[in-house]
Amino acid sequence: MAKQYDVLFRLLLLGDSGVGKTCLLCRFTDNEFHPSHISTIGVDFKMKTLVIDGIKVRIQIWDTAGQERYQTITKQYYRRAQGIFLVYDITSERSFQHIMKWASDVDEYAPEKVRKILVGNKSDDVDKRQVATEQGIKLAKAYGMDFFETSAFTNQNIAETFTRLAEQVLAANKKDLDLLRMSNNDEINLAALEEEEGLCDGAPGDQGKGCWC
Amino acid sequence: MAITADDVSLEDIIPISLDFAVVEVSSSEELAVVGADTKMKVSYQEEELELRLPFGSHSRLFLSEVNRVWSDVCKTTTQAPKFEWISKYHKATRGLGTTVNKLNQHQKKEKSSDKKGTIEGEKGSNSGTHKSKAYSSPESQSIFSREDRNDLVRSSSHTPSNKAQILAMPQFGLRDNLIRCELLKNEDLYTYPEDFSFFLGTYNVNGQTPKESLSPWLSCTLNPPDMYCIGFQELDLSKEAFFFNDTPKELEWTKAVSQALHPDAKYALVKLVRLVGIMLIFYVKKEHAEFISDVEAETVGTGIMGRMGNKGAVAVRFRFHNSDICVVNSHLAAHIEEYERRNQDYKEICSRLQFRQLDPSQPPLTIMKHDVILWIGDLNYRISELDVSNVKELIGKKDFETLHSYDQLKRQIDEEAVFVGFAEGDIDFQPTYKYDTGSDKWDTSEKCRVPAWCDRILWRGKNIVQQHYQSHMALKTSDHKPVSSLLVIGIKKVNAEAYKKTFEEIVRNIDKMENECIPSVTLSKREFHFKDVKYMQHHAETLSLVNDGQVPCQFEFIQKPNEPTYCKPWLTANPSKGFIAKGGSVDIELEVFVNRSTAPELNSGKEQIEDILVLHLERGKDYFISVIGNYLPSCYGSSIHSLCQLREPIQDMSQETLREVAKMSGGENAVNTEKPLDIPKELWMMVDHLFRNALKQEDIFQQPGLRSEFAEIRDCLDTGIPDSLPGSNHSVAEALLLFLDALPEPVVPYSFYQQCLEICSNASQCEKVISMLPQCHKNVFNYLAAFLRELLKNSASNRLDVNILATIFASLLLRSPTKQDLAEKRKTQEFFQHFLAQGSS
Repeated sequence: MAKQYDVLFRLLLLGDSGVGKTCLLCRFTDNEFHPSHISTIGVDFKMKTLVIDGIKVRIQIWDTAGQERYQTITKQYYRRAQGIFLVYDITSERSFQHIMKWASDVDEYAPEKVRKILVGNKSDDVDKRQVATEQGIKLAKAYGMDFFETSAFTNQNIAETFTRLAEQVLAANKKDLDLLRMSNNDEINLAALEEEEGLCDGAPGDQGKGCWC
Repeated sequence: MAITADDVSLEDIIPISLDFAVVEVSSSEELAVVGADTKMKVSYQEEELELRLPFGSHSRLFLSEVNRVWSDVCKTTTQAPKFEWISKYHKATRGLGTTVNKLNQHQKKEKSSDKKGTIEGEKGSNSGTHKSKAYSSPESQSIFSREDRNDLVRSSSHTPSNKAQILAMPQFGLRDNLIRCELLKNEDLYTYPEDFSFFLGTYNVNGQTPKESLSPWLSCTLNPPDMYCIGFQELDLSKEAFFFNDTPKELEWTKAVSQALHPDAKYALVKLVRLVGIMLIFYVKKEHAEFISDVEAETVGTGIMGRMGNKGAVAVRFRFHNSDICVVNSHLAAHIEEYERRNQDYKEICSRLQFRQLDPSQPPLTIMKHDVILWIGDLNYRISELDVSNVKELIGKKDFETLHSYDQLKRQIDEEAVFVGFAEGDIDFQPTYKYDTGSDKWDTSEKCRVPAWCDRILWRGKNIVQQHYQSHMALKTSDHKPVSSLLVIGIKKVNAEAYKKTFEEIVRNIDKMENECIPSVTLSKREFHFKDVKYMQHHAETLSLVNDGQVPCQFEFIQKPNEPTYCKPWLTANPSKGFIAKGGSVDIELEVFVNRSTAPELNSGKEQIEDILVLHLERGKDYFISVIGNYLPSCYGSSIHSLCQLREPIQDMSQETLREVAKMSGGENAVNTEKPLDIPKELWMMVDHLFRNALKQEDIFQQPGLRSEFAEIRDCLDTGIPDSLPGSNHSVAEALLLFLDALPEPVVPYSFYQQCLEICSNASQCEKVISMLPQCHKNVFNYLAAFLRELLKNSASNRLDVNILATIFASLLLRSPTKQDLAEKRKTQEFFQHFLAQGSS
């Protein structure tokens, strides 16, 4: 059987301490939710395989320490990311304000081609909401990003958000991928035919649902 | 690989010298495509090459070898090898240069599509790439780099887990194998059987050419079958066919077959395979063609010498939907008594017939590895124990059941000597061998062969039902009659929805497994607080790592950006890297020790006891560990100038004052309201103490003090102004020496050092130099010299002499900004001796 080719992306979760980066990751990769907050002190990662347009995409998602004192160190990880989640907490005006700073750090330290997506987490906690959905939409628009409100607690928009960013990264690197596909000749197609038959619509079932842009 | 580390040593092949560099080009900007390549930039003198090494352990081995050799080269200063062998390639390299230039222009146009560029480069510069192939790998491709060196340096900076390590993640090939394996195991979950009809036909044509239509044989079914697998034997008995495997009969019979296929459907010829006279043709109904894949054909000769093609088998394998099917057409050994030889031929065919797989890493497929095996042919098994008349009698009575019980094949199968696991339908037709050609009459030749069921159709596999099994008496071309069988086979069809679900489930499980296998440790503490850190006082805390992951792990403290080492100079982690078995643990000592090189910055408040360590697990996470603490400033490691500004003990001073004082050092206390001290009070306290208590102390400055007493003396000097100091005279003497040693700027400042060496033999010149020192330094120098002269006056009791004191003090007062050699050392002593002579000022 032909050798499969896999694509590996690195996606990075950024945002203030406590906005729920680790919870988003846990929910996405393990479908688990732990309500207690244990600060990530360091850089953690998990792997996840998605099938997008029939391509097996392996994403390595990096979860970074959000605390300010570690930022000089975490910045060096930006360089190796192809996609970045800018995460704030809809119940924290402050975490939303800080998105600007996170975004400017990304501009400075991440590769130019990096794709970004804005995420307002904890959308289940409506009583404590401090950041209106419209504010998120507006900010995302200003930065030219997609925007999702998510809840790691209720599993709202989690897969959608991660898949969307992965799709965008894939699209941004499409040229390279096509070349790769060409150079790997038709054996790939053959294998793709057998192994991924019926999987071509492996992307999220209902695209656009919950996306505000 | 042609070259391995065992055969030759790398340094003999590649000109690895100090100006040789191999840097992995980080591809953060582009897509990281796993399994594709590792990009390397190789530079040697003026030349730079960019290579792509194929993903895999060979490449990693190669790179680690290069790095090992390179670091060896760096360590040794021996004559660099000349690499004469390479000179003959230089021309070729130049050739590469021109090709590559073109390539680069091309790349400019294409921009960022360097993959395409590389492929074309490979085509265009075969001679040039040959060189790199010789020492990398067959698939490597090379292009010249246009990036400048700065880019190279920047992109190669060490990062905690670079691409190489990510590539070393659990191998992706392994992942695919796992997925494949799991998919196979769970096939029932996403496939369902659907019946397809397979028409199987076998015909020994005895070297004849087709003289009549084959329709009565091939179109005998009501409905058109989905597949046709038609086997012939003895297609051509000529010597030409035997020796050159070439025969016009192939085309003739193929034509005859295609004309006779069922008229109600269209068929596509998928594969034809022939070995001398054994031919197999495989047709498929047009609409099924797209579900046929992985078609392979093979032949095995078992004839003369056990190898020739007069006997043997041809076979075609293919995948139809999700079922793997193998069709074998064989012609086994002849003659009634040779049934064991036939059994042996069967076994030979089974073991020797192997289909290659598309994925070269997979082992070849044997016949028995298939879901469905269809075996047809002239198997040549005869009727034994009965003579011709008995056989013909039974045939006449149509008692095929009794006759069949004498059939060698049936008996051999019953004994499990051959065709184990195969099934055959009931035989309800008369033997197909041997007739007079052109008739339905039994063999009338003098040999008068006993009739036999030579031509058979067997199968092995699940969900197979035979619809018919018959011979076709209407055909008279050969001394055999053709046989056909229609099998309805349940083929595994894929339910796309269920497949997707199963596939996703498998991937999810493998992801989970992989995530669980990411190395992980628990840390006993994430923050370390070092309280009241003092000069030359060792503080240690223990960080315990427990490997709570599923795999052994390798840990290492790694550098942060813009810092030369993994931690601040006053901190060490011991061990800083290591290995922890699964479930095991390691204690790491975090040690803080402020010495003379780190004290000045801490005393002046420019630095704090504050650091973040990055503990990296190979192929795993990074942990941040905070180290904080407070440092108690000390006169040790403070400058003479600063100390002269401080009338109070240093630890009574605010951070701010200390910072201020440090800032204006050098300039003569412009803004200071108070007149500075002539000499640091701490120096005075020690010297005065010694002057009062130790002038006659035997072996003073020669016998070491006690470390604990030094700590007391240091605390005393830093916190108060007592009348006398604690500890023995020797301890105080040593504390004095340590004080001088810790001065960031020696008593004779570095800027005067060279001058002192030059005029060391001239006493008055020496004095002149001293007179030019900054005031406080001059004071200290003179004060110390005077004290030492006092000591020398008591040399009878303290057993000191000029030489001893000059040796000890010259090296402290006149320190070299660089490394000091022996000659310099002598000169500094000579310099200082002038000041120890009694009667000097």
